[in-house]
Amino acid sequence: MKELPEEVLDLDEKIIAFIRRGIDHQDSREFNRLALNVFELQFKYISIYRRYCEKRGIDPENISSWERIPALPTDVFKVMELSLLPAQTVRTFMTSGTKRPEERGKVRYDEGGLRLMDATIYEAASAFLFPDGIRTTILIIAPSPEIAPSMIMAYGMNRLMEYFGSSRSRFLVGKEKFEVQVLVDELRRSEGEGTPVTVCGGSFGFVNFFDYCREKGLKFKLPSHSRTLDAGGFKGRSREGKREEFLNDCEEFLGIKRDYSVNLLGMTEMSSQFYDNGLRNAYKGLDIPKAKINPPWTRTQTVDPDTLEPLSADKVGLLRHVDLANRGTILAIQTDDLGKMTPEGFEIFGRAKGDVTRGCSLTIDEMTHIKQEG
Amino acid sequence: METIEIDAYYVPPDLRNQVKAFRIEAYQGEGVTIHLKIPSVSRSFVETLTDHLKVNRRLYLSRLPVERIIDVLDEASRKWLDKRYLLREIALKTIPTITGFSREGVEASIHAEMESSLREDIWRALCSEIKNPLYLDDFQYSPELNGYTRAFGPELIVSIFSENIPALPHLLFMRSLLVKAACLGKVARGEPTFAPLYLKTIEEIDPEMAKSLAVLYWKGGEDDVEEAVINQSDAVILFGSVEACQSLLPKIPRKVRTLIHGHKLGFGVIGRRRLTQQGLEELASAVAQDCSMFDQQACLAPHVYYLEEGGEVTPKEFGQALAKAMEAINIKMPRGKISPGEASAINQLRAQYEFRELGGKEVLLWASPRGTDWTVVYERDSGTFSPSPLNRFIRLIGVENIFQVFPNIKSIGPHLQNAAVAIGDEREKEFMGRLGELGVARITSPGKMSVPSMMWHHDGISPLAFFLRWCDVEKKEEIEGMGKKE
Repeated sequence: MKELPEEVLDLDEKIIAFIRRGIDHQDSREFNRLALNVFELQFKYISIYRRYCEKRGIDPENISSWERIPALPTDVFKVMELSLLPAQTVRTFMTSGTKRPEERGKVRYDEGGLRLMDATIYEAASAFLFPDGIRTTILIIAPSPEIAPSMIMAYGMNRLMEYFGSSRSRFLVGKEKFEVQVLVDELRRSEGEGTPVTVCGGSFGFVNFFDYCREKGLKFKLPSHSRTLDAGGFKGRSREGKREEFLNDCEEFLGIKRDYSVNLLGMTEMSSQFYDNGLRNAYKGLDIPKAKINPPWTRTQTVDPDTLEPLSADKVGLLRHVDLANRGTILAIQTDDLGKMTPEGFEIFGRAKGDVTRGCSLTIDEMTHIKQEG
Repeated sequence: METIEIDAYYVPPDLRNQVKAFRIEAYQGEGVTIHLKIPSVSRSFVETLTDHLKVNRRLYLSRLPVERIIDVLDEASRKWLDKRYLLREIALKTIPTITGFSREGVEASIHAEMESSLREDIWRALCSEIKNPLYLDDFQYSPELNGYTRAFGPELIVSIFSENIPALPHLLFMRSLLVKAACLGKVARGEPTFAPLYLKTIEEIDPEMAKSLAVLYWKGGEDDVEEAVINQSDAVILFGSVEACQSLLPKIPRKVRTLIHGHKLGFGVIGRRRLTQQGLEELASAVAQDCSMFDQQACLAPHVYYLEEGGEVTPKEFGQALAKAMEAINIKMPRGKISPGEASAINQLRAQYEFRELGGKEVLLWASPRGTDWTVVYERDSGTFSPSPLNRFIRLIGVENIFQVFPNIKSIGPHLQNAAVAIGDEREKEFMGRLGELGVARITSPGKMSVPSMMWHHDGISPLAFFLRWCDVEKKEEIEGMGKKE
């Protein structure tokens, strides 16, 4: 495979350096500079995107703020593979939510793009999931990347395991089924040994596990500092799971305090992830409201669903994210999620269009439906 | 700021003091505040009400000559067609505020519905379905039977309305009255005011007749109330989504006649002979009308228009003309407000088309200058039927030959209903025959998709005859007072 072009490598180096400064390093000017650099590169390399921008009268010469960079609506990935260096693709992730492959969005990554994503995974998780720097067994209610190579969540969880997991860490969703007994055994072991664990996975995977616990009368009292990380959401499938209910279940069935249940918003179309600040606040003794937090290498704005014009901060609208780590695809992404900006970050209310939840969580739902034997 | 208090229910006057515990919901419109009064409905009230409706039906409605009923319905339609009519004016303030439809859109809707509900068409609808409307009054000689026959309607029809078309619920009251059945309508949450207003009109014209009619609102799935309502009825008409129907269907006993008007998908087909320069503007306006009426919310509305290549006007040129016509209609009759989800769906889909176009695919996109008001997209036949996200989003599909559309529309079999067809050559007859075989229940011209006649076999069914029970007299001799045998 050819080496990535010099200018791409140079920019990646700058972005990685920016990410590596961690989530407390706010530098708006540098963010803006890097965002415009990424835009310039994407404008130059991705001809269709360039034409899209030109139709809107926007080019790197005539804008000076990241806020004016044209955002790409997520559904475009369903009809087009937009990437900076298609010939250098090493991984392709697919959106889910539908079984028909032609309706799934495809997002390609080159080597450098994966490195950027890896950096975001490390920095964001260090800050929001492991602010205490603990290393635990990570049990993952999701398939491994070998089983689900196109699922971005599998990729990300695998990285979490590598960066933060101890040797017993493992994936629990196989080709055929959710290895629920392994999970039960591992949780019992953790209880017995008094060593904390981290349970990660799609939100629906948890819901199915809690249903299983309810049915079998299982309850765990996991050692303190155990925690959960769930990704995705609940609406529309399996049951109308609400956040509150979920937190109650984590407490009831796992014995995990509410502050130690962290939710993550990730999207196939975004290299970075948005964590909530609950655990970090608790650990640092910060008295600030719960919200999804933009790491310094990302920005989020809300736009009017009809005109796609930016809204003032207090209004509910569609979320638009700008992510420096998206260097390999498109920097600015127009989502179909409804949300609102808050002083700390933003809130997400779910999908505007229909009541379909973020894809991976749904796939995990299908994969973790526990088949009762006998 | 004007404040209008309006009922989300109608019950006959004698029972009004029994309607209790209002919940009031406020809606803010342009220069107007609507206070919607929603009654609390209990099982016992429903039972009292339905008894009342049935008794009044027996004492009055069932004995009325059908001609008198038609007179009343005709007068009601005429009142609603009168721009100075007070209740119409109220509807034009409340419905847009509550539903988001534009005032002009609601006006067009009322006009379309009422114009097709006048005496002559009602009479024709009856003749079409039961030959002699007087069968509804008494035994009449039937030459086909060579005897006497009479038709009886149900005692009580329960009708569950949907919210997509303002002014549609009147149709169900008309049909019930024509078969001399009492009728209890359940309004949809999204459009609860037209039906009560319409019954006030009936009350103005014939207060006794109105005593057999009522409108209530309750939350779908309220088992207690729903069960009581269904148990009191002998016929049910369901409009709405599959989900809405599914929660109700299991509760309906087999002896209750049930008519379901579920979700349908419309489409249009224009052959090359009709794609001419001379007729272009008119045809584009007609198609724009189909796509804009009721903001495309009606089951009658087209999702797709298939255009045959090889005519004087190419499908792409037609798209251009249609875009112009869509904008013209939007100025005259603006699209209503839509939800963030609906707007987002349109923007996402527009972007897909725009990127395909930019990527050199044979795809074109025309969009309203601002926001999501209307969208026209053109592409070549992809071999599948892709529904529109609605709210004035029309897909034009170019086909080499009109007969190419059949594999596409076959895939939506049970949802087929309404089609606009303009072919204009010898293939038209065969084409329509095949549409009929596949399940299309109405074929019309572009521009007329949203205005079926009263005579239409709604969803392929005879909507009046469906509810009738016949009593035939097969005796050799003439019966005194029953008229002459021929």
